[in-house]
Amino acid sequence: MISTLITGLVLGGTYALVAMGLTLQYGISRIMNLAYGEILIFAAFAAFLLFSTFGINPILGLGIVLPAAFACGYLIYGVMMQPLVTRSKKTGTLEVDSILATFGLLFVIQGIMLVTFGSNYTSYNFLNTGINVLGANVAANRLLAFALAIIIGATLFFVLTRTRWGTTIRAIAVNPDAAPLVGIDVNRTARFAFALGTMLAASGGVMISMYQTFNASMGVVFTMKALVIVIMGGLGNLMGALIAGLLLGVVETLVATYVDPGLTLAATYCLFLVVLLWKPAGLFGKAAGR
Amino acid sequence: MTRTILGLMLAILGLAALAWMPTQLGAYGVGLLLGMTGYVALASAWALFSGPTRYVSLATVAFFGIGAYTVAVLSETLPYWAVLLVAAVIGLAVALIVGLATLRLAGVYFVIFTFGLAELIRQLVTWYEVNVTGTLGRYIFLPITAEQIYWQLLAVAAGTIAIGWLISRSRLGLALKVIGDDETVAGHTGINIAGVKLALFAVSATIITLVGAIQAPRWTYVEPAIVFNPTISFLTLIMALLGGANRLWGPALGAIPLFLLFEWLSANFPNHYSIILGLLFIAIVFVVPRGVLAGIEDGWARLKRRGEAA
Amino acid sequence: MTSLLDIQNLRKQFGGLTAVNDVSFSIAEGETVALLGPNGSGKTTVLNMISGALAPTSGVIALSGEHIAGLAPNRIAHKGVARTFQLVRILPSLSVAENVIAALAFRPNHLWGRAAEERAEELLAEVGLGGRGGEHANDLTYIDQKRMELARALAAEPRLLLLDEWLSGLNPTELRTGIDLITALGQRGMTVLLVEHIMEAVRALCSRTVVMNVGTKIADGPTADVLADPAVISAYLGEGHA
Repeated sequence: MISTLITGLVLGGTYALVAMGLTLQYGISRIMNLAYGEILIFAAFAAFLLFSTFGINPILGLGIVLPAAFACGYLIYGVMMQPLVTRSKKTGTLEVDSILATFGLLFVIQGIMLVTFGSNYTSYNFLNTGINVLGANVAANRLLAFALAIIIGATLFFVLTRTRWGTTIRAIAVNPDAAPLVGIDVNRTARFAFALGTMLAASGGVMISMYQTFNASMGVVFTMKALVIVIMGGLGNLMGALIAGLLLGVVETLVATYVDPGLTLAATYCLFLVVLLWKPAGLFGKAAGR
Repeated sequence: MTRTILGLMLAILGLAALAWMPTQLGAYGVGLLLGMTGYVALASAWALFSGPTRYVSLATVAFFGIGAYTVAVLSETLPYWAVLLVAAVIGLAVALIVGLATLRLAGVYFVIFTFGLAELIRQLVTWYEVNVTGTLGRYIFLPITAEQIYWQLLAVAAGTIAIGWLISRSRLGLALKVIGDDETVAGHTGINIAGVKLALFAVSATIITLVGAIQAPRWTYVEPAIVFNPTISFLTLIMALLGGANRLWGPALGAIPLFLLFEWLSANFPNHYSIILGLLFIAIVFVVPRGVLAGIEDGWARLKRRGEAA
Repeated sequence: MTSLLDIQNLRKQFGGLTAVNDVSFSIAEGETVALLGPNGSGKTTVLNMISGALAPTSGVIALSGEHIAGLAPNRIAHKGVARTFQLVRILPSLSVAENVIAALAFRPNHLWGRAAEERAEELLAEVGLGGRGGEHANDLTYIDQKRMELARALAAEPRLLLLDEWLSGLNPTELRTGIDLITALGQRGMTVLLVEHIMEAVRALCSRTVVMNVGTKIADGPTADVLADPAVISAYLGEGHA
């Protein structure tokens, strides 16, 4: 039981990190990014490639993958999202447009991965030794991933709550219309937040590649899980995403251990359904005025 | 009034011509015609709900797959018409559950829920087959010819467009326009917004389920990965958008050229198929966000205004 | 006189902010009542709770004794409450007639087809838009959009009509027409609650006035008395209103 809980928390750490990126993209940049999971898987493949071809271990690999992901996110926002944002000032259709555009992007990235890496499950062996934690045997790579998630998550949290730039970002999340009045450049911040979100997706991908098998068409599942966590935590709520992510990790591991590994997504969905029916504003969201 | 009757007669004539076409074509031609009609029905049914409400449904293949898989499971135990009925009822039930959970809320919840729905149902069916029945993959041996499938699909497609036409002239159609203009006003004039959306989603999903059920015998061998292929959702969406989801004939207009294009692409570029598809889709969102028909109308209106000004 | 609308201890909280605090008043059948108060005093919030646009935090709203607080707007509309909006809300893609038919088609004893078109034309004529049903709602002038909005509200055959600053933004001639329109409604026995800033209109139309300030009710009585009340005057002057 303890071992299941620990495994669940470790998995939940990655989920929480991934969901924080998505909540940044939706909360700040107002982009509902359906290609999010594809970016994650792409980063997983990148880590795999770096490790198996160039012998660069995933920790160092992060040093390459994360800046690259940031740049990609920056580019995607500038090329694809910016025109939609500009257009939506007249039509007010950013949400639908961004959903459609990123849905297209999903197929493009997935297609590129299928062509480059094929459709087989991929994994590599890195620090796959057991370590005893409170009497439970947990693989070293999972623990490492958890530690990384904590470090990256804590850094992000610190930046957002303690720095001027973080205040800017949160101001936009609370009131995008009023932000320009106090001299905030919404477009630049949105672009930055989108890039940051992409980077978080990539960091999640690298972590997952360390302890799990993956393939080119798995992105959808990760987007799905991240979305469910974001909704559970309350749209745009970082702390909520963190707690909901850990919760989902634990629930999934419990279901996989005691019920059936084939039903984890179903468990995710049940959780989602309960939250939608019971507290649509999220477990930690303030009650939204109707 | 006379224009309506004239239009109706033209539609019936066109339908008769389409129904007669298989007799003039070989097996390949009938196959193409069948696939195309299937997508006309899917795109039209999708637009029935998503066009006016602007709720992007990504769950087309979830319902399509439910229909197809129901046929695969029941085709040997029940008569064909009963199988179709059961499939439609299951599709309707799932639509009501999804709709009741999400349609009271902002549109984004609906999109998210439908986004993973096909994957969820695929995994559930797979799990059930592996763990309970112990078989993955089923054969469908039904004495139905390609022509018969085509005629059924043609009937569904025509029926869907007819339903769209009837809705546009009914109180439901007005309710949709009011909701589209201003939800607050809609609520205050007594329109049950969630109810309208739910009804429309249920109709749309049931039709999509039927299309899946009718097309199932074409495969002979069916497994979850085949009938829950997300590309079907994607294609339906892109076709409806290209033609214009807010126009009666828009989805059909988008479905025909795109279906032929996809056939050609999958034959010639099987590996790069989804990349091209994705790029094409993005292009449509950027260039003709409201569909070709609306684009043409806008251009026409602009020309006319210029003509009046001159 | 029996009371049509009964509001008791109505409260609305937005997070930590109490927008409406323990407000009670009632309106008798056939009465035209004004709800006054400086900006931000919670008048529109009260209106929004009556029409269902907002759910109260606590308190009672009863229409002929039937509790309606917290119901969805469409259900409240069906119970006989219709309203106009502070910033006029038209249905821009529809014609003027269709804007009115929208309300006719979804009221409890709904009208559709020929009957709805005829009734819409009657209502439009009543507000001074006779023969203009075919125009695009978007092309109407501001005053005409307001007239159309009123026709739409009347189309629902309400027992209680809520007018949210319906007279503001009109020029003196238009204001005269507007006041006459509402007077005519009152003479037909319609119960009206209007939120208004224009004192001339309030004096002309309303026998009774309720005043709110910072979320609470500070006065309730015959219009002339209320407007002479020192507490009311200071509430307005304190906010810089005349």
